[in-house]
Amino acid sequence: MTDPEHAVEQARAAAVTMRAQGAYAEEGPAAAGEGSTTLENLFEWAMIDPDLREVRSTRKLGAPVTLLKLGLVRLLNQYHAELISQQTRFNVHVLGHVRRLETRIDELERIVGSRKHDGE
Amino acid sequence: MRIHQLLSGAGPHDAITSEAVSFRSRFTQWGWDGKDYAVHVAPGLNGHIRMLKRFKPKPEDLLLLHHSAGAPRLRELLALPNRKLLLYHNVTPAWWFWEHAPNVAVQCAVGREQLPALVRGVQVAAADSAFNAAELEALGAPRTAVIPLLVDYGRLGAPAPTSPPGPPTILFVGRLSPHKHQDDIIRAFSHYRRHRAADARLILVGDPISSRYLEALRNLAETLAPGAVSIESGLSNAELGARYRAAHVFLCLSAHEGFCIPVLEAFSQGVPVIARPAGAIPETTGDAAILVDDPDLAVVSELIHLAVTDTDLRAELQRRSQARLALYSPDRVADRLRDAVEATAS
Repeated sequence: MTDPEHAVEQARAAAVTMRAQGAYAEEGPAAAGEGSTTLENLFEWAMIDPDLREVRSTRKLGAPVTLLKLGLVRLLNQYHAELISQQTRFNVHVLGHVRRLETRIDELERIVGSRKHDGE
Repeated sequence: MRIHQLLSGAGPHDAITSEAVSFRSRFTQWGWDGKDYAVHVAPGLNGHIRMLKRFKPKPEDLLLLHHSAGAPRLRELLALPNRKLLLYHNVTPAWWFWEHAPNVAVQCAVGREQLPALVRGVQVAAADSAFNAAELEALGAPRTAVIPLLVDYGRLGAPAPTSPPGPPTILFVGRLSPHKHQDDIIRAFSHYRRHRAADARLILVGDPISSRYLEALRNLAETLAPGAVSIESGLSNAELGARYRAAHVFLCLSAHEGFCIPVLEAFSQGVPVIARPAGAIPETTGDAAILVDDPDLAVVSELIHLAVTDTDLRAELQRRSQARLALYSPDRVADRLRDAVEATAS
């Protein structure tokens, strides 16, 4: 019997043995990156694009309610288009500004770094 | 005594809502009056929880604040003269959600921001695990209590007397969400299926955090283990109990857990548990689960194989899990709840 305290150790040894026999060689698709919000992510998210699949009823027999909600969204399409375009305009301009600031900070850091280097 | 419970959100498949309902029935048994309120109330709760906008307490009423996400009107609530008990269920760090569910991310970010004010504004700060209580202590809470989640495990039915028949079945129950790492479960399962049990099945139960994330998981499952992975949500208690009883192993690779009820549900149904030692998991499982922090999913695959085939190991885990479960019996939890409420009132 394997006791629970030694199960992981035994599994590690089994994985090594199996790999030596050619198993576990395949690489699955990589896991998504975690915890990093890059400027590239922000540019992607700046373009507001609501997922219409989230417009639905969560009730058991909610199909008619879902249809009604989707109908309302369709009726208000012009309003939403205006809202989305204004929000996206703001997002994109703010991000463009952030990118220009980052570039400027990089330049300044390079200049300060080279001056320090020259001073030494 | 009159005690009101306040939740940020309430839904029919939400653990905190279920706990609030269980608390209310205990309060009634103890002769305490009061009502339960939430900012957002999902359909299907049949009037158990009222909308927060209807909340009008008397100054002598005691407030039990369940905190698991950002809540509007918090400053207003904390300014009330009532004595308050905080029950902190943990707030998952927002960065897990920004990509797939920005609305959830916002609630989590706000929820974390509100925590220091909550700690300052209550008489007693409690949490459902020591892991969560440590966060409150780090924020300066002078008195903390641990009140584990009060769960009625009997609602799932009686456990099966023997190992389930049929092909090896791996189960995970929990919201389909990036921090629960169902993607890694699918990857580990695909290894196991390819190298150890070609007929194995994986069942993932949980409400998706967004349709987009559900689609991403379905695509991954179809790529790595076509036809072998079921993803289900909205199950009744009887259906959920049946899923546990059909499982040979409960596999949890979550990266963040404030308590993890499904692990205890698996214990109650006699299902061996393999889990990552993340957050409160080691505290919840004690020595009754196999904890593995190896990033190598081949090791996880081999552990699944071991837990499925080694009958003595399964029996030992089942024996330990029954002992562990006794620590979380509803009556013991209710005693701790009563102590915390009475400490708040005094």
